[in-house]
Amino acid sequence: MSVEDPWKPFRDVMQNPWEYARAWKERTRGKVVGHLLPDVPEEIIHAAGALPVAIEGAGIYASHAQAHIPGYTCNHAMGALELGLRGDLAVLDGMVIPYVCDTTRNLFHIWDRCFPDMANEFLRIPKRIGHPKVESYLTAEFQRFAGVMQNLTGESAGPDRFVSTAALYRKSRARLREAYDRHRQQPSVWTADRINLLTASALRADRAEHLEWMEALPWEDHTAEDSSSRIRLYVRGKVWDPPGILEMLDSLGFIIGRDEIVTGFRSIEQHGESSLDPMETIVRSHLRRVPYPGYHIDPAQAVEGFVARVREATAAAVLLLNPKFCEAAAFDTPDLQVALEKAGIPSLVLETSARGVSLGQIRIRLEAFQEMVSGELP
Amino acid sequence: MQPIQTLKRLKQINMDYYSAAHTARQNGKFIAYVNAFTPVELIYAMDMIPIYPENHAVILAARHLSTETAKAAEGMGYSMDLCSYARCDLGSIKLRLSPTWGLPKPDLLLISNSQCGTLTKWFEVLSRMYDAPMVLIDVPHSGHGEKDEAAERYIRGQLEELVGTIETITGRGLNQARLRETIRLSQEASVLWTRVLTACANKPSPMTVFDQFISMAPIVAQRGTQEAVDFYRELGEELDQRVQAGVGAIENERFRLFWDNLPLWPELRRLSTFLEERGACLVASLYTWAWARLAVGADDPFKDWTEQYLYTANLHLQRRIDEYATMGKEFGLDGYLYHSNRSCKFLSQDIPEVRAAVTERTGIPGVILEADHNDPRLYTIESLENQIDSFIELLSSSRRSG
Repeated sequence: MSVEDPWKPFRDVMQNPWEYARAWKERTRGKVVGHLLPDVPEEIIHAAGALPVAIEGAGIYASHAQAHIPGYTCNHAMGALELGLRGDLAVLDGMVIPYVCDTTRNLFHIWDRCFPDMANEFLRIPKRIGHPKVESYLTAEFQRFAGVMQNLTGESAGPDRFVSTAALYRKSRARLREAYDRHRQQPSVWTADRINLLTASALRADRAEHLEWMEALPWEDHTAEDSSSRIRLYVRGKVWDPPGILEMLDSLGFIIGRDEIVTGFRSIEQHGESSLDPMETIVRSHLRRVPYPGYHIDPAQAVEGFVARVREATAAAVLLLNPKFCEAAAFDTPDLQVALEKAGIPSLVLETSARGVSLGQIRIRLEAFQEMVSGELP
Repeated sequence: MQPIQTLKRLKQINMDYYSAAHTARQNGKFIAYVNAFTPVELIYAMDMIPIYPENHAVILAARHLSTETAKAAEGMGYSMDLCSYARCDLGSIKLRLSPTWGLPKPDLLLISNSQCGTLTKWFEVLSRMYDAPMVLIDVPHSGHGEKDEAAERYIRGQLEELVGTIETITGRGLNQARLRETIRLSQEASVLWTRVLTACANKPSPMTVFDQFISMAPIVAQRGTQEAVDFYRELGEELDQRVQAGVGAIENERFRLFWDNLPLWPELRRLSTFLEERGACLVASLYTWAWARLAVGADDPFKDWTEQYLYTANLHLQRRIDEYATMGKEFGLDGYLYHSNRSCKFLSQDIPEVRAAVTERTGIPGVILEADHNDPRLYTIESLENQIDSFIELLSSSRRSG
């Protein structure tokens, strides 16, 4: 690890997560399990002795995949399939695809035909997350999933192992939340781009190792920064997409006040309760997370709750990153924008993952939005 | 071609159905917006009239109003990538443009995500628009249709809870005798609908899939009523007579084809004529067969609904391959037309895999047509016709070469 650049190990993982996983596999003789986002319980994979690796398809140019899935499929699914077809995911022993939407439901079956040698699993995530019976169903489903993972690794995740895994993930997420807080205090050092580097690499690296790397970050430097001119943004979307958008937001003077991005704050927000049984903690954390658009809660509450969260984060503006062809996000957008407008909160919708999207065009739209929100119009 | 006389009754059946819906309140009835995999027998038995916003969108397309209404929804902020049924319906509300005088305001929005996730989101929009309660029957399908007892308990619990929700809305309890009667009528209609579909296995087929699409409204919306039973009994009898007399749906049936996925509603007449001119008859479709499998038994309907939504409705890839191969044999198919439907990702995304596997197993070729079920701006009909033409030419030449 470089003393000069404590961010390097995180960058290395993100530049080649498959190489990192391969090295981990050689070192530990363990199994590597990929998982499509969102909401696959990493702890269950980890407790079975495997390395959970998040697979993101956004930003991947799709060529081979177009022969297996139509072009009107979102890039998260198509890009993931492309990664597999071009051989990047050969390191995986298993792949977990959660029930997020119709696309992931179909992708699982296509995946299973394309990669019959991989142990592929469809995680049956319920959608009615406020229903009284959902907790017992999800507990049964996660227990089933734990059994599948144990069969794959041949290792039994006994109670002690589960407890230590849960403790490790609690500690890791607490540290990541601290980093997120530091972004708001010192945005020029703890940039949004770097925070994403930390959270995204945590979803791909060995958590214990990742935690060690985080200790070397500049936590002691508390040099105050005047961030009063920066615009506090609330962001909703699936992943930070297109790649490079956070760097753009940093350079345009935005601060991420809070986000609901699957690989962002949403992935670390739950503290977890050490007093509970680990499985109970995982289930409750899952159900308490900010609902992803694919989940169902009372429709009026879905809009009111969103505006309340934006207000609570004292955000000056909202950015909606809608993946192209994602029906769940696109159905919500008009009502969310109307409610935000009523609340006097400006918002911008960016359709992401559109093939042929231009970063330059996105920058122009963000610049215009920044000028409008800050009142710096010429 | 001799037209099927019974189909002429459909206009009046549909008018009566929408009239009854619009006068529901005066007649002590309530309105529930529903989708395919919801317990429609329970709805009828509990004094509610089930309304399908999807069917409303179909009517808009059939009257060539889909472009105008879809555009209006896009003006409201709904992306053009969203299901065109939803866009047409939402745009129709916005424009107050509808051949059925619109749809009556719902007292309940009841949806099951066993069909697709799109409808859940669409109904969420309607729930906010009408300030009406919404119930989602959440069905977490297993990957390959494996038995899942935890999911069965979860789904059954939601269905049983639904009774209480409806009782609260209507102020009336569930009458078990009425439920048994609607179940009986639903079973009878399903048997008769199955007979209609099976008649198309005859050569020549007495009916095309285009006629099936037109005649499916009662099995969808009026399953559990006497009207549906009467209509399909009459239709079945007429088809039997045609079979006995050797009357085909088209004059010179040369090729027997399968249609996958939903139809192109704005093009029914044009495609029907186009295929007929080439001696090609659509004889089977999984979409119309889906409605033959939705009846439940009276002994424990909650168990049957649960199993239907969790297992029967789980149209996963392997199951589709198996079913299409079986239908290929039963209906004597020469080819498969796969509609890769931009508005129905659930039924479309695995088509490339389905097509390859079905052809490999059966030796019957198939062609993929990328289009949309309701929005004619998303395809060019002439290009689709060219593709079909080439496919039929391929079938002809392979038949010539023996």
